[in-house]
Amino acid sequence: MQNLKKTIIAAVFPVVAMAQTAAYRAPRAADGHADLGGIWQAINSANWDLEDHSAQPGTMWQTGSIGAEPAGQSVVEGGSIPYKPEKLAKKKDNFANRRTNDPEAKCYMPGVPRGNYMPYPFQIVQSPKGILLVYEFASANRFVNMGKPEEAGSDTWMGTNNGHWEGDTLVIDVTGLNGLAWFDRAGDFASNQLHVVERYTRVDPYHITYEATIEDPSVFTKPWKISMPLYKVVDKNAQLLDFKCVEFSEELLYGQFKKQTSSTK
Amino acid sequence: MRRGFLVSLVLVSSLAIFGQTPAKAPAKNWTAPKTPWGDPDLQGMWPGNMGVPMQRPEALGTRATLTDAEFAQKEAQAKRQAEADSQSTVASDSRPGIGPPSYWTERGTPTRQTSLIVDPPNGRLPALTAEEQRLRKEARGGKGFPGEWKGEAETYADLNIYYRCITRGALGSIIPVVYNNGNQILQMPGYVVFRNEMIHETRVIPLDGRPHVSQNIRLYMGDSRGHWEGNTLVVETTNFTDSDAIGSNGAGYPGDPGHHSADLRLTERFTRVDANTLNYEATIDDPKTWTKPWTILIPLTRNDHYQLLEYACHEGNIAMGDILSGARAEEISKKDSK
Repeated sequence: MQNLKKTIIAAVFPVVAMAQTAAYRAPRAADGHADLGGIWQAINSANWDLEDHSAQPGTMWQTGSIGAEPAGQSVVEGGSIPYKPEKLAKKKDNFANRRTNDPEAKCYMPGVPRGNYMPYPFQIVQSPKGILLVYEFASANRFVNMGKPEEAGSDTWMGTNNGHWEGDTLVIDVTGLNGLAWFDRAGDFASNQLHVVERYTRVDPYHITYEATIEDPSVFTKPWKISMPLYKVVDKNAQLLDFKCVEFSEELLYGQFKKQTSSTK
Repeated sequence: MRRGFLVSLVLVSSLAIFGQTPAKAPAKNWTAPKTPWGDPDLQGMWPGNMGVPMQRPEALGTRATLTDAEFAQKEAQAKRQAEADSQSTVASDSRPGIGPPSYWTERGTPTRQTSLIVDPPNGRLPALTAEEQRLRKEARGGKGFPGEWKGEAETYADLNIYYRCITRGALGSIIPVVYNNGNQILQMPGYVVFRNEMIHETRVIPLDGRPHVSQNIRLYMGDSRGHWEGNTLVVETTNFTDSDAIGSNGAGYPGDPGHHSADLRLTERFTRVDANTLNYEATIDDPKTWTKPWTILIPLTRNDHYQLLEYACHEGNIAMGDILSGARAEEISKKDSK
């Protein structure tokens, strides 16, 4: 009865549920730490827009309601992203040109944190030699060095990832990001001064609470934070499949340079 | 007795595999390490080594290793190349193309292996089936499958899937090429993860004996399932597409597009033979394409200092736009000069 009551409370009040499961102790992985291994996916519309947003049409009327944007509540703590006033114009321009300019449309690697809340699963491989995050989207991946922190070399899409544990929370400090990835289809962006600190806490067998603190003094007035649950993919025989989207992007990127056939001249 | 029989069986099969090749047999005074949960431990950085051709020069016949004299010649050549590379600080080849300057290229450490192909014994690809010969002739309206680029640029599809930065396929990804030949193995209970630097590929290979995904799902990297045979990791991969490719540059070996059918069955064997050597063997079985199976051997040397970088091939593929737009500009200029 007590358990049933807990379940009902958990279902109705997710926030309360998180507090109640604070005593949850995650199983141990081979490295002795909380086991985060498995396939995970966000279930929200943050990839459309991190901030609060109403439903609206997509960029192509030809696809009807397929490709239209679902409404969603902000995953940003405090609701909105603290842009410097002069940077908002770029976000608006990104949004206006999102059909062709969103790096997701071009099948570019999703960057951090975007890869974690795209509508594709990703797998956490927790090995004694380090942690690998493998994304289905664009075959992106990032290796998290759990040893002595390494300084970032040249800028990359998925960054230089140094991890450590704070109790049962995996903390990943990400630097060396090239700032070319967007945060979402709404055109939210940063620069190559972007610094992301992520926190992964397994709060029960099926959820990780994911938080990311985002700092970029050239674009934002102060650091800001997103948080959301990641859901464990428990489908029978779940595994990552291919989403090698390069070939889906080629006509968009290079179609204008193809030889025109006589019928199109 | 039974044990003795098994040992001799293993010896015979090892001889069959290693006898004619430069591959090391497992070292006697060395115990293969295990992971904390008891699997053989293959983890680490295992970068590929340039310099062994896919197919053996025909003149060498069934000889799998170089003689002392041939090897000395190869080492001398490598030394001359290293000197030339170190002096070449600007692009020595300024012709338009998509290759990098020669000094960017990894040259590798010379070895005695005469070809990556170790079976058939002549180190060469078996004959193509009649059906495959017809396919290769008729593909793309008679132009054949895109292999090495020869300047065709009507569309991006005139370039092979490696130039397009789509993938090098499961086998192509481990065959050493030009640069960024890193391979990393990670393990967790129930999985082995094989990661290739070029073009940022990751195979998360389940070991739990689950069935392959449906035949209706086709994957460029295939669908891999692994199991242990002693200290050897055996990975069976199926569910390929017929549009990825095999070969020295992931798309073919010189003069060959590396095309195979969707029926390809790849069997890979990973065996640590000493602290610093991992033998990678792969058997390619595709009766629709080749008249018999063939096997390659790539001995990998451990390098804990190797840094696997992010190879953002597509993101940095400026060449594709340049090649196509350049070809269009050339057409216009030819038309104008008429």
